[in-house]
Amino acid sequence: MSNEKFVEVKNLRKVYDNGYEAIKDVSFSVKKGDLVCLLGPSGCGKTTILNMLAGLLFPTSGDILFDGKSVVKTEPKDRQIGYVFQNYALYPHMTVLQNVMFPLTVGKNKIAKDEAEKIARKYMELTQITDFANQRPGSLSGGQQQRVAITRALVQEPKILLMDEPLSNLDARLRLKIREEIRALVKKVGITTLFVTHDQEEALSIGDKIILFNDGVIQQDDMGQNFYLEPNNYFVANFVGNPVIDNFEVELKDGKLVGSDFAIDLADFDQDRFKKNLDEGKYTLSIRPENLKPVEHGHLSVKIEDVELIGRERILKFEHDNMQHRCLVDLEQPIKAEDQVELQLRLDRAFIFTPEGERVY
Amino acid sequence: MKKVKVGVIFAYLILAIFAIITVYPFIYMILGGLMTFQETTKIPPTLWPKSPQWSNYAKVFAQAPFARYFLNTLITASVTTIISLFNSLLGAFAMVNLRFKGKGVVQVILLSLLMVPGEAIIFTNYNTIAQMGLLNTYVGLVLPFLTSIFYMYYLQSYFGSISPTIYKASMIDGASDWEYIWKILVPMSRGGLFTVGLLSFISGWNSFLWPLLVTNEDSMRLLNNGLTAFASDAGSETQLQLAAATLTVLPILILYFIFRKQIIRGVVRNDLKG
Amino acid sequence: MKQNQTKAWLFLLPTLILVTLFSIYPILRAFLMSLQSGSLISLQWTGFSNYQYIFHDPEFWLSIKNTILYALISVPIALAISIMLAWLIFSKVKHQSFFETTFFMPYVTSTIAIGIVFRYIFNGDYGMLNFILRIFHLPAPNWIDDPSMSLATIIIFGIWTSLAFNIVILMGALRNIDPNYYTIADMYGASGTQKFWRITMPQLVPTLAFLLTMNIIAAFKIYTSVYALFNGQAGVGNSASTAVFYIYNKFQIVGTPGVAMAATVVLFLIILFVTFLQRKMMKKIGGQ
Repeated sequence: MSNEKFVEVKNLRKVYDNGYEAIKDVSFSVKKGDLVCLLGPSGCGKTTILNMLAGLLFPTSGDILFDGKSVVKTEPKDRQIGYVFQNYALYPHMTVLQNVMFPLTVGKNKIAKDEAEKIARKYMELTQITDFANQRPGSLSGGQQQRVAITRALVQEPKILLMDEPLSNLDARLRLKIREEIRALVKKVGITTLFVTHDQEEALSIGDKIILFNDGVIQQDDMGQNFYLEPNNYFVANFVGNPVIDNFEVELKDGKLVGSDFAIDLADFDQDRFKKNLDEGKYTLSIRPENLKPVEHGHLSVKIEDVELIGRERILKFEHDNMQHRCLVDLEQPIKAEDQVELQLRLDRAFIFTPEGERVY
Repeated sequence: MKKVKVGVIFAYLILAIFAIITVYPFIYMILGGLMTFQETTKIPPTLWPKSPQWSNYAKVFAQAPFARYFLNTLITASVTTIISLFNSLLGAFAMVNLRFKGKGVVQVILLSLLMVPGEAIIFTNYNTIAQMGLLNTYVGLVLPFLTSIFYMYYLQSYFGSISPTIYKASMIDGASDWEYIWKILVPMSRGGLFTVGLLSFISGWNSFLWPLLVTNEDSMRLLNNGLTAFASDAGSETQLQLAAATLTVLPILILYFIFRKQIIRGVVRNDLKG
Repeated sequence: MKQNQTKAWLFLLPTLILVTLFSIYPILRAFLMSLQSGSLISLQWTGFSNYQYIFHDPEFWLSIKNTILYALISVPIALAISIMLAWLIFSKVKHQSFFETTFFMPYVTSTIAIGIVFRYIFNGDYGMLNFILRIFHLPAPNWIDDPSMSLATIIIFGIWTSLAFNIVILMGALRNIDPNYYTIADMYGASGTQKFWRITMPQLVPTLAFLLTMNIIAAFKIYTSVYALFNGQAGVGNSASTAVFYIYNKFQIVGTPGVAMAATVVLFLIILFVTFLQRKMMKKIGGQ
């Protein structure tokens, strides 16, 4: 019945004993078999939500439904979930095999030992950790420990897999490799997965969809590319994208957006993209660095301070209104530091935000 | 360079003197217990028995039921250690891993009780045990010591150093609290539990004032009480008293030499946090 | 996980029952009994007369005086020796663990048994102590049988027993000092003495404050070593009576539990006061 809303979170709130409101009225849903990333800066409440989904934290109000049934009053062990902790939480005194078997040898799911070992070995085969079955976690590398943790989480054949920053303890190169492995694995097993991360690139590459949090509120719940192309608000536009978006403080006066040393006619913008009529006053004009083009006669003239090479592109750095700005150009562009350059803004790809962060264009 | 060496020699000298002062009583005790009476009271003092008088020990066992004292001490020290460790373990688990109303109050009360000197409550406890009709019983000897706030506090700091995600992981894996305690917490804290057990056993073995109060029958005495009684009864038979003292001290001394690292580490960790 | 896991009380139950029965109740009981007189089976309320009694009892004052003198003399001497030995072990010699193991022996052994051994080491006629004193032509008093020497005897024995704990704790603290401090001091050419007074001692202050309190509290509770040295007596003619000895005597021998409890309350308050001072001191140190 509820494949579309296999996991559903309704009006979830969490206020800690010290009065801090970590989660403020959060609602979202996850499709069966999807891999969803909960993304946000540290302290935004994403781990709090994961803990409430796991039953490790009790929500102050609101409801959590798995497959249409409320689980708020269900103990963690009865929620049919797997959980991968940031520090893996492997039991140091047990071997890898014992760690993986552990969920099958305790509590209600206890089964015969040889049966448990058979299942454990099946999953260890899948994650390719059979070779160190008899080692202890302490002797394994970070990546290997990571795989043991995932295997242990999968061995009970849970319906939902929860992962809390599972890659943050790995070095950069390994992170790229493992995140592909994780995606391939959960797709192969077909398990619905919620994946917490603070790394936008990780979220964009791995998630079927992304839910971006800040201050305990959902900022955007969407497909990856939309965070880039159609950010909901100022926070999203600035959080997603590397190099980060360029922001210009402007004021709307007499039908023109006026900056410190430039002015753009409102009529030049794509009229279909305006979400409402703008009143006069202060706004922020934001544009991604690749949509700033060096031209002969552009919207504004700047002096390039530094040029940085990133692969097949160059970042031109300049200062405007005492703020660092970036412009992304092809490798072949001959512009160098100290050059005075005219820049054209691609207005059909720009965004306009109110001072409160609401997107109006 | 030369100055440094003089300092080191001086240091060894002082340390050697104090090491002798520390060790001499033990050596004197062990050797004196093997001397004749004349040898123990000779001037100048005898350093080494001419021929070891093993018969001293036979006399000690003949004059007082030291085997019985031994057994009593072993039983009370072991029972106290095992049960108090068990109870403090459960309490420390609850205080570290569970959330409940009143936890703060419990913690404050326990911490304040940590400051109450045992000597201030031992006499009223004697009264309680007497009213329960438990004088001269094993139960009376061990009952007040079947939990230890001190060791519970120690274990709390030990358990607190285990990442809380381990407990969360075990809950998600479907383990009950009981399974968590025995399959994860205890195996992970073996070192700490062992040290606490050793310290508890040693203090149980050396207890004196409490058994002095709650026992007056010879058959229920512990080693130390038996020893003092024997020391008054044996009067001037110095060599027998030293042999009896050796009987009391030697088991613990052996235990200490085997597990000296754990014991010293345990004491240091214990008390700096206190 | 539930907000309020009531099962926690189940795990705490054995401890809470025992603590209530054998820690909390006896404290309250001690306070109440200090206001009662008569034997244990027939106690009557008498207000503060027990306190009046002990404050007019020269024996009580002697016990308190002995206890305080014992604490004031033995604790600083033992601490000073411990610091010296710990520092020598830590900074000058190899075989650290050998010396540590040796010096810690008295901590684990029975005070009673060792006390009996010391009774013979202290023996005025054939004891090893006087034998050595005579070699150096020093006065060789009768440590055990001379009432005027009783206090000195228990102080010497007290120092001998308390070195163990002090040294081991101090060694732990010394090992905790960041070795980089010494490396930097070496670079600036500091001498060994300078390093000791300018780096080691200040770093040891919290540990010393802790040891001072622990030692003083332990000193106030002294009983067993006196019992062992003087064969169950508090020295000849009660000359070395201590607070706990007084309490035991009034409780068990004389059979006036009310008086004993009044003395207990006084002792308890003194110890509480010392603990309180320590707390304050530690806070002040921590606040620096």
